[in-house]
Amino acid sequence: MSRPLSRLVAILETADDALRHRSLEAAVAGLDVEALLHECRALDAFRARTDNLYQRVRALFFLQAIHRYHLAARAQRLPAAGGRIPYDGQQLLLDRRFEEAIACFRRTLDDAGVSEALCSALAAAYRGLAFQTLADQVRRSVRSVRGNQWMFRCGHPLDQPLRLRPELLERDVAGHYPLLVERTPVRMDLTHCGWSDIFFLGMDHPEGARVLNVSIDLGVHGRDAAPAPPVECSLRVIDEPLLRLTSVDLGATADVAELPLLFDFARDYLGLLKAALLAAGLVPPGIEGSGTTLQQLLAQLVGEGRGLEIVAHVRGIPKGSRLAVSTTLLGSLIALCMRATGQTRALTGTLEEAERRTCAARAILGEWLGGSGGGWQDSGGLWPGIKLIEGVATAAGDPEHGTSRGRLLPRHTLLGRERVPDSTRAQLTRSLVLVHGGMAQNVGPILEMVTEKYLLRSDLEWRARQETGAILEQLLVALAHGDMKSLAEATTRNFFGPLTTIIPQATNAFTESVIERVKQRFGARFLGFWMLGGMSGGGMGFLFEPEPITDAAPDAARTADPLAATKRELQQILSSAKRELQDALPFAMEPVVYDFAINDHGTRAQWSAPRVAVAPHPANATTAAASDAPLPELLARLGFDRVEHEQIRVDLRAGRIGLAQNRLPAHSVLRDAEPGDVADLRAGAGAEEVARGTAALQRGEVAVLTLAAGAGSRWSGGANVVKALFPFAKFDGRFRSFLDVHLAKSRRVARAAGVPLPHFVATSSFTHEAIARQLALRTGSEPRERDVEVELSPGRAVGLRLIPMERDLRFAWEETRHQRLDVQAQKVRESLHAALIGWARGAGEGDDYTDNLAVQCLHPVGHFYELPNLLKNGRLARLLRERPQLSTLLLHNIDTLGADVDAGLLGHHLRQVEDGGALTFEVIGRQLEDRGGGLARVDGRLRLVEGLALPREEQELELRWYNTMTTWIDIDSLLARFGLTRELLLRSAEPDTASAEAAAAAIATAVRRVAAELPTYVTLKDVKKRWGQAQEDVFPVTQFEKLWSDLTALPQLDCRYVAVPRVRGQQLKEPAQLDPWLRDGSAAAIAARCDFH
Amino acid sequence: MKIRKAVITAAGPDQRELPLQRLVDRDGSAKSALRLLLDEAAAAGIGEVAIIVHPDDGERYAAATGAPGGAPRVADGVEPKLHFVPQAAARGYADALLQARDFVGDEPFLHLVGDHLFLPRGELRPAAELVAVAQREGAAVSAVQSTRESHLREYGVVGGPRVAGRERLFAIDAVLEKPTPTEAEQTLFVPGLRAGHYLCFFGMHVLPAAIFDALAQALRDAAEPRRVSLTHALATLPGRARWLALEVAATRFNLGEKYGLLIAQLALGLSGRDRDDVLAQVTELLLAREKGRAQK
Repeated sequence: MSRPLSRLVAILETADDALRHRSLEAAVAGLDVEALLHECRALDAFRARTDNLYQRVRALFFLQAIHRYHLAARAQRLPAAGGRIPYDGQQLLLDRRFEEAIACFRRTLDDAGVSEALCSALAAAYRGLAFQTLADQVRRSVRSVRGNQWMFRCGHPLDQPLRLRPELLERDVAGHYPLLVERTPVRMDLTHCGWSDIFFLGMDHPEGARVLNVSIDLGVHGRDAAPAPPVECSLRVIDEPLLRLTSVDLGATADVAELPLLFDFARDYLGLLKAALLAAGLVPPGIEGSGTTLQQLLAQLVGEGRGLEIVAHVRGIPKGSRLAVSTTLLGSLIALCMRATGQTRALTGTLEEAERRTCAARAILGEWLGGSGGGWQDSGGLWPGIKLIEGVATAAGDPEHGTSRGRLLPRHTLLGRERVPDSTRAQLTRSLVLVHGGMAQNVGPILEMVTEKYLLRSDLEWRARQETGAILEQLLVALAHGDMKSLAEATTRNFFGPLTTIIPQATNAFTESVIERVKQRFGARFLGFWMLGGMSGGGMGFLFEPEPITDAAPDAARTADPLAATKRELQQILSSAKRELQDALPFAMEPVVYDFAINDHGTRAQWSAPRVAVAPHPANATTAAASDAPLPELLARLGFDRVEHEQIRVDLRAGRIGLAQNRLPAHSVLRDAEPGDVADLRAGAGAEEVARGTAALQRGEVAVLTLAAGAGSRWSGGANVVKALFPFAKFDGRFRSFLDVHLAKSRRVARAAGVPLPHFVATSSFTHEAIARQLALRTGSEPRERDVEVELSPGRAVGLRLIPMERDLRFAWEETRHQRLDVQAQKVRESLHAALIGWARGAGEGDDYTDNLAVQCLHPVGHFYELPNLLKNGRLARLLRERPQLSTLLLHNIDTLGADVDAGLLGHHLRQVEDGGALTFEVIGRQLEDRGGGLARVDGRLRLVEGLALPREEQELELRWYNTMTTWIDIDSLLARFGLTRELLLRSAEPDTASAEAAAAAIATAVRRVAAELPTYVTLKDVKKRWGQAQEDVFPVTQFEKLWSDLTALPQLDCRYVAVPRVRGQQLKEPAQLDPWLRDGSAAAIAARCDFH
Repeated sequence: MKIRKAVITAAGPDQRELPLQRLVDRDGSAKSALRLLLDEAAAAGIGEVAIIVHPDDGERYAAATGAPGGAPRVADGVEPKLHFVPQAAARGYADALLQARDFVGDEPFLHLVGDHLFLPRGELRPAAELVAVAQREGAAVSAVQSTRESHLREYGVVGGPRVAGRERLFAIDAVLEKPTPTEAEQTLFVPGLRAGHYLCFFGMHVLPAAIFDALAQALRDAAEPRRVSLTHALATLPGRARWLALEVAATRFNLGEKYGLLIAQLALGLSGRDRDDVLAQVTELLLAREKGRAQK
């Protein structure tokens, strides 16, 4: 029987725009599993045969999305839903051998049938291949841009065709070589173009890639006398055969005398300078690994025995300004190096158009070499004034012709006075206030999301993209007429419309809070908001009613800053909003307000007087941790156990504990759970269980315990924010935190049951005060909420982080498998790892980690302790006194957003308790991203095994069930296992009696005894250290933990397991998981179980 | 079109001695470098040659044009008539060439640089081939050689498409003097050339008389006339006159480079009558050095 033709292949192949831009969702709506599999086979065959790069990539994204969003959801309902991911395939995936991984997964799928697990693996492999294909194309394009190619052919010093311009070798009377200085403005994106300038979009959809881009000088309001080009770099000859590289801002200098060090980007803070030297051809990239010496190369380039000193300086503009400062710096350095080697016509002054284009192409090359990358508008500061930058369709003769629809490099059209009159320019500078809100976030994941969404043509997002084009036209008209109101209306509509539709994470609670406050404070004078770059929270713009210049005093009006008062107030608003949210959101610095001026020259160079030494800018002094309590004081206050800490240090240094020692003994026999080990309630519980659970709820027998003691370092990248308070997504029109969502679910359950639901939130010394503050802020003067009785359960134990052992770092990075990165990014990562190993050695392996804010040096000691804390701190006892009927606790992690008191699951648990069970753990079917152990039979005994305890890595994928950590606890059974009783617990909470003290001591002893039965894990965590102008370093540090799931390994504790739907059990560990979670229906399903009012 | 005249520039302060250097030709006879150039012109059928010289060099050069016996001896073709044209002041290469304006009149002419030697790979001499092609095509033609990009800073470089149906012939659409590889890659496209190679001037051109107007203009426009090169004037040709590049089957030797004279002599010796003898002596030298090393 012949198959029907593929409707998706038809979309990919058509020249008809209406069909070409059809969304995947619309195309696959209503298809069953068999029809979807047919489409997948057709797409797979199509991508293999098509020569067209973008058809191939789009087919890959279709395949990814079908597996991730459509097949996986349907597969959960299939009998084979617990299928396994083949280990070989996973290894191929980690090695970036995507095609082989896909073949492996597909073979398994053909043999074993569709499963949720396999769908997740195939989705990851197709996604990886799609981005790899695009990255390969960018690499090819960047290398094949004319003017860049020769640098990759040059493999020997004698091949180096460049020579330093003779002017740079002419000493003055004092014997100094001259100093050439390049000053470059940064670029400001006037439109926000919907990220259309990222290469993948520009090269597939050049007609939609359009940006209005303004070169500006900048100064920090109140600090700098006047705006100036923020980027400045200089070059001169030195009488030593080496490259002396200095970053004034980062306070780093290095004498590079060996060629391999120039290719070692993450070794120090000078990676960007090195990338510039390479991209400008002074050290041609082709020479890497040639075995030649830097001295030989410099002898050709500068002359025997001579070298170069290059200094980079960003004038105190903090990171995250969204003004493309680092690309501008790269472009500026490249321009300087090109001038110095005769690659530009003029040694000083401005650049010619062709030279700016070469420089921009090389900035892209430099970013690729350095393992980063933004959009093509980022080097806009090389050009003068206001310009329209547009994607260009390829033509015969272009290196991209026949491969992509658009060129790598866009076209720049300078908008002269006839299109943007002087009056508009003046109005713009008198209306717009630029700020840095203080947040410095990684926009990398956003650029991937934009690409994916563009290629999938999701309806809403595709319509939004069309709207950005119309908004740009409105802005052009507004600029022509000097209509600031229309301009502000357009930028505001852009932000709250298309931009946040395409990328919801472009906005955040801080930004919206600031906009709201500005609106309230300034009323009609506030014209609109303007998002400057990849996401808001850092660099942002606020437009205000311009103040007219009166004829009477034009000069005075021009010289005074008509927005000075506005700026002062805006600064206060930003600072107060930051203060309120700094526990919840990652701020890298105190907000600042800028002064700016349009720069009509672009990058310029001039001779400068020889400089003796480089003085750091006053703004670059390292930020002192002024508000931070001293570490020893904090340790004393928190009851830090120095004796235990020293023992741990001794054990760690002696190699008795460590990452490798976390593993169960190699002779352990580990098998997957057997049929019957897990009760499968993914399709819902039976009516009897629901009825039983509902009745227990109505009798008030249940309470919730949310674990919120940890920092969630994977979520924040090691920043010291409280994950529970992170306002991660909008629900019901407002940003809500993890904690908000959990409380909202409890509220709904309580209202449905008609009884209040007690809800404990376990905190630690890291999170307690912030959570308490937020809860107080939220309720304000309102009476205590009736439906949800929130009670904080503080835990006090802390550990002090240690500088890791080299052995553990090598184990984590070299012996444990990780996803390899694209070739250049992988090189940078390996360079960084080598640098961090050097840091650990230099700082003293196993020493206390103290070189950070005190709170960043401490760590919670694992979530095992959070329930015992509830026993020790009297909170449970108090509740038991109020509600003697309380028998069940639901414990869950802060990031398990679907967990709630589900009547069916509660009923099921109660039945297990009747049957002798004590704890019921919820598990979900494993997908590829679910790393961290699972349910296993270890030497025959069923238990949960942590990922770091698995004897061999490959065993993880053999375990079909992944641990969600959500646990139904029968209070009495657990107390019994601790050797405790309700009576003892109640007595411990009585006020100030000897008997209470004895009971408390007994509880403490019981907890210590059980803790001693559990393994202590050594883990590595990332911790951020902030310094300078919003700079951040991430260090791996060693800490110790005891984990809740290890209770399942204890004898005399009967643990049961129940499989729940993925939406209930999935944890949001990393921000990258958020977008799929919002898109796959999980967010909507959870929202439906919340009551926020 | 008939090419009858040639111009050799030899007045540069750094190159005045080079044409006077004596070398042993492929036939084993000792000649000055200038004599070898004149042989090249004669073989191309040139009847008159103007040599642009320093005002003090006329006599020395006249002496160097002859064979050791005194009378001029032409290896191949008819001995051309010689004119020594002094360049009154050292005002650079462009000005030197401009001195030949009256000599050339309004005819196209062959131009050779005085500090180069040319060695054909086959029987056909490069100047003869260049003149033949120019006459056949009725166009200005510059001899070029495919050169690695690391040497771009030494030459004028051209780009352009191949002429259909003609071997080794290109229609020049762009020319740059001593470009960086960046400029060359962006401006000078030549289909079919090896990656990283460009068509660099060979030191030999057939030029129209109109080039003198362009030279004069370039000198007038220049802030530093001394730095004006022929390339600046040639840059005006594309679009105004048909100008071709011929990739000649020959090798050029720049006598002014370090070891330039030695390498040129070796090349002559190894391609001529005494090849075996030269080879034996070179080998002996190498062996002696190896022996010396071994004894150490």
